[in-house]
Amino acid sequence: MVGSDPTRGADDVDLTPRTNVDGTAAAGPRPRQWLPIIVLALVFVAGGVIVTQFLRSAVDYYCNVDEVGVRDGCDADRRIRLQGTVDEGSIVQDRGVTSFSISFNGSSMPVVYDGEPGGIFKECIPVVVHGVIEQGALQGDRVEVKHSDEYVAVNDERVADATDLGCNPPGSDA
Amino acid sequence: MEDAGFILGSYLLTFAAVAAFSWRTLRAGRKLADQVPADDRYWR
Amino acid sequence: MTTTDHDLPAQSSAATTSSATGTRATRIIGIAAIVALGWLVAFGLGFSPADRDQEEAVRILYVHVPTIWLAYLAFVVTAVASAMYLFTSKKSLGWDRMAGASAEIGVVFVAVTLAVGAMWGRLTWGVFWQWDARLTTTALLFVTYVGYLAVRRLGGSHHQRARRSSVLGLIAVIEIPLVHWSVRLWRSLHQEATVLDTDGDIDMDGLMLFSLFVGVVAFTLLYVWLMLHRTRTMAMEDIVEDRGLDAALAARRAEGEL
Repeated sequence: MVGSDPTRGADDVDLTPRTNVDGTAAAGPRPRQWLPIIVLALVFVAGGVIVTQFLRSAVDYYCNVDEVGVRDGCDADRRIRLQGTVDEGSIVQDRGVTSFSISFNGSSMPVVYDGEPGGIFKECIPVVVHGVIEQGALQGDRVEVKHSDEYVAVNDERVADATDLGCNPPGSDA
Repeated sequence: MEDAGFILGSYLLTFAAVAAFSWRTLRAGRKLADQVPADDRYWR
Repeated sequence: MTTTDHDLPAQSSAATTSSATGTRATRIIGIAAIVALGWLVAFGLGFSPADRDQEEAVRILYVHVPTIWLAYLAFVVTAVASAMYLFTSKKSLGWDRMAGASAEIGVVFVAVTLAVGAMWGRLTWGVFWQWDARLTTTALLFVTYVGYLAVRRLGGSHHQRARRSSVLGLIAVIEIPLVHWSVRLWRSLHQEATVLDTDGDIDMDGLMLFSLFVGVVAFTLLYVWLMLHRTRTMAMEDIVEDRGLDAALAARRAEGEL
């Protein structure tokens, strides 16, 4: 049916009404309509996955350090995401374990992370740590660096920006 | 250096995507122009 | 450039290379876009300084931010053109093609934003992807407009296509404010807006800001150039499709007469 030859089929014209004069299949649009339907189905699946993943990750409360034990959901013994700025001079690396403390709005929390944080992790930078608070310390299994929305050239000595982070001017590490 | 790879990669990826889309559009236009009379091409 | 090729039927492939969907205007805009993209590389990778915290990784900003801004613009154009089709009495298919072409370009730009953003995330946050408010809503925006493009190809007459897709084009644009303000609505790993924010001051180094501006100009020129070519290609697609339909109908009628 598909590969019918118009030159040979010229005698039985009535039986091949779906073939063009030039021999191309007249049913052109038909296979083309399936692709958009498949794409649409994939779109619905992808949309569902995206929304559920977002809702699932939102289950871990996103807390600032000063909200621990204060805000609903920001308690010990449950998984949270804790946001704070890495305290200056607090980073200690020992046999693959990184310990440091993070602060937010005057409150501080020690963090123990099994591994080496990636990204632009360093002191005086805001981070988000995923984990559970046990015995007064956050046992982190994921550290993400949340860089600020300020962009300052390396050689720029704008001291005012650094004080926002609660650290001394970063002239020392330049 | 890992950083340089990602930075250059991001620029290359951007340009490659744009170039591919442009090429596809121009090629389609060239093919179709042979089938469409000049009078129907309003931009001419 | 050549004044004579106007009279020739578009036969020789050498002549049609530039005259298929190209005009003087597209050539000028195209050259300007290439020059601006060259500037973007020079400023983005060369002249602009490294960031205090992000160091060299900040250079990704100059493609990441312009591409998403242009994607926003593209989808807004889609919505406006959709409204023009739906709510004007003339029901011109030109508006519909403008909406479709703009959405296609927007999808390309969002795809680039997501891919480039993943690389930037890997360098600064330490992860390629995070189910975070900004990233999630952007992914949803991408998927929605891929769906829009699929809906355009579901078949039917040109006006059926136009009606269907213009309704969708008007609904989908609501996602843009959601994406932009997601970093405010939810607590987010993604930084807040630096330039397009509401407090009025821009926390960005001068040369960095200029590099970003070069990027925006380059991608805007590119968008206009692509729009001109793509809408013209779409117009020809419609003509060829109509002609194919006419030919098929004529063939059937001829068959009946035999």
